[in-house]
Amino acid sequence: MTAGVLRHRQAAWGQGGARALAIVAVLALWELAARANADSFVLAGPVEVARYLWQNAPLLTRALGATLQSAAWGFVWGNLAAILLAVAVVLIPRAERVVAALALIVFCLPLVATGPILRVLFGQGNGPQITLAALAVYYTTFLPLVVGLRAVPQSWLDLIRSHGRGRMTQLIHVRAPASFPYLIAGLQIAAPAAILGAMVGEFTGAERGLGVLTIRAMRALDVDATWAIATLAAGVSILAYGGFGALVRRLRVESPAVLLTPPDHRHRRPPWRRLADIGVIVAIALVLWQATMDLFDLNPFFAKRPGDVVAFLLTGPDAAAHRATLFAAYGETLVFTLPGYLAGLALGAGLACGVVLMPGLATTALPLSVALRSVPIVATAPLIVLALGRGAVGTITIVTVMIFFPTLVACLQGLRQTPGQIIDIFDTYASGRWRLLRLARVPAMLPAFFASARMAVPAAILAVTTAEWLATGNGIGSLMALTASTSDYNMLWSAIVLVALTAALAYGAVAWIEAQVLAVYAMEQTVRR
Amino acid sequence: MAADIGIRGQAVRCEDLSRTFTSPAGSIAAVDATDVTFAAGQTTALVGPSGCGKSTLLRLIAGLEAPTTGTVRIGDETPAQTCQRGALAVAFQDASLLPWRTLRGNIALALTLARRPADPDRVDRLIAKVGLQGFEDRRPAELSGGMRQRAAIARCLVGDPELLLLDEPFGAVDELTRRRLNYELPKLWQANGTTALLVTHSVTEAVLVADRVLVMSPRPGRIVADIDIDLPQPRTRGLESETAFRTLTATVAEALMDIAPPRQFAAQ
Ligand SMILES: Nc1ncnc2c1ncn2[C@@H]1O[C@H](COP(=O)(O)OP(=O)(O)OP(=O)(O)O)[C@@H](O)[C@H]1O
Ligand SMILES: [Mg+2]
Repeated sequence: MTAGVLRHRQAAWGQGGARALAIVAVLALWELAARANADSFVLAGPVEVARYLWQNAPLLTRALGATLQSAAWGFVWGNLAAILLAVAVVLIPRAERVVAALALIVFCLPLVATGPILRVLFGQGNGPQITLAALAVYYTTFLPLVVGLRAVPQSWLDLIRSHGRGRMTQLIHVRAPASFPYLIAGLQIAAPAAILGAMVGEFTGAERGLGVLTIRAMRALDVDATWAIATLAAGVSILAYGGFGALVRRLRVESPAVLLTPPDHRHRRPPWRRLADIGVIVAIALVLWQATMDLFDLNPFFAKRPGDVVAFLLTGPDAAAHRATLFAAYGETLVFTLPGYLAGLALGAGLACGVVLMPGLATTALPLSVALRSVPIVATAPLIVLALGRGAVGTITIVTVMIFFPTLVACLQGLRQTPGQIIDIFDTYASGRWRLLRLARVPAMLPAFFASARMAVPAAILAVTTAEWLATGNGIGSLMALTASTSDYNMLWSAIVLVALTAALAYGAVAWIEAQVLAVYAMEQTVRR
Repeated sequence: MAADIGIRGQAVRCEDLSRTFTSPAGSIAAVDATDVTFAAGQTTALVGPSGCGKSTLLRLIAGLEAPTTGTVRIGDETPAQTCQRGALAVAFQDASLLPWRTLRGNIALALTLARRPADPDRVDRLIAKVGLQGFEDRRPAELSGGMRQRAAIARCLVGDPELLLLDEPFGAVDELTRRRLNYELPKLWQANGTTALLVTHSVTEAVLVADRVLVMSPRPGRIVADIDIDLPQPRTRGLESETAFRTLTATVAEALMDIAPPRQFAAQ
């Protein structure tokens, strides 16, 4: 185990020299590309970026400070919520289905639409930034933490029970310490995500912050500024992620083997039970929605209730026209999302396999993609739009990029899960790399692949709506931006419901495919826990 | 721990005890209609082929598994009540030490869980008794398999339980250390009159340690032989070469050979 971890770390970070070389190579390529495209107003090279950063240092420092402050508070609140939810799920296993489903639905709410509503609700200040940052992080901490709290040997729990002590003692003495590495892993992913959430919050009309500067730079078509701000946001995110990585190594926390377990299919439930479950969860979600609005006595002008949406889309006078508008935009969005999603998954998994076939590549590819994985989409989206334009190609690319890096990282980690003994057995038969890849490594990679395919669903929707909102003027993201600015809150809420439902259902569908595939290829992974 | 006053332990009575596991692949009767009493203060060894339900019987007695039929009484209590009082200790087949605690911390945990005051001296004394002195501040990952099992036994004994359930506690201990522990450790609980139940695959160990040996049949697990070991306690070195000992080991071994062979062999 220790040797494995050691090997892992060496591969993960490579030799310091290789890393430095990779960075220099990237910078050089970047500068070359910028020089070559000097007159196309698309790319600013490292030199121009550095100049802009230097000349605007005071402004950028203030903006960065504001963003980081919101991100930090969002990080705290979001992770606190995640911990409480995870503990609740473990202490009250019966509540799991409902809590997990509701947590997913809330996570699937499109940030670009909840942002404007939160802005109306909070007025000025950094309330929306903090809330969106919290919303962006809680789910990615919640899931691994539940796995960590659960993944303890039965005999440790029995030890507590044999002393006549209950769930609370199990939690304190066994589950909490055992889940610590999982919590840290979740927090590491959360750190850059909080910055992303804060920046999206700033898009909605904050006074200060990197998000505000991004919008301004894009409106002014200021290439140097766009690149400089993106570089800054990306750099800070990489630092936040890397800083957690360093902390992990400092604390000598072993990275957990699997962060996300496949959905639990131990108890095969008949289809009608599942439908009933979905019905119950939808009902609870609706009741909670209505109750929150009523409890805080929110102004019905912008805080729409379930009834408003039903009237707007189904029973009201112009319902058919509303539906037509909404679904036209929705259709456009789907056309962009699906190819981007699939391309991102395929490229991520494909490159991961390529890296395994050519081990030399791993030393440079993995640290680079771990770093790029933490770059928030709000930083890259404007650049891609600058480069590829506001059409379909640009949007699809944004989605692809958003999915690609997490998938690549997850698959590489999954590929490493192939047990050493199995590789040894293949070696004794002198099997080639391809056979090993096909028969041993890919099946070992599948759980990680599907876990990231699931998490990629909300991510893809976030990416596409952000791109549409910021740049392309198409699809449901643009519709949400438009309706937010014209105070057409009925349409905005309808769009939110539709997007959240789509994301939750797509997530469920991926989970279903995952269960079918893993049942064949990775038996032991589905029955573990 | 003075060699004291009679018997602290309680008798354990199992009546019509059975446990069936059902899963999509079918149902398995692990323990079937077992009636057995373990006398207070006695050490009983349980032997039987792998998978015959020994661990399950132990877990039923510890209240960790709910019986499908029948009851378990410890004295006049249910297992849950005995657990509540912190009077029961189990050593699991895997040592199940908590990896983030040191050896000392793992053993002290038993006192914490039983809501007893911390007692560092007693913890260290037990560590020495199982031959782990010098490793007090090591974590389980730094110990060998056999050392971990000894630590698990120390954890069981530190709370001075009334009922001790040991599931193959010496499975990963080397033969030499194992013999030494066979002679030394039982004194720690037998002097206190603790009722003990020991699952083992070693006939020699069963006869060396126990006052009584029960032989279990393959699934569904039933008790098919009940052999009294009337050798004086505490057992002393040299016992293994005595005729009485040899006769008893042979009797137990015969009983094991006599039980119905597992189905897959019977079919041939
Ligand atoms: N939790 C469980 N679920 C399903 N079946 C179980 C479970 N626990 C035990 N069994 C089954 O019950 C039977 C008896 O198991 P048990 O662990 O009691 O055997 P054992 O006698 O302790 O074996 P060994 O000597 O190998 O430890 C086995 O066939 C096993 O498959
Ligand atoms: Mg067993």
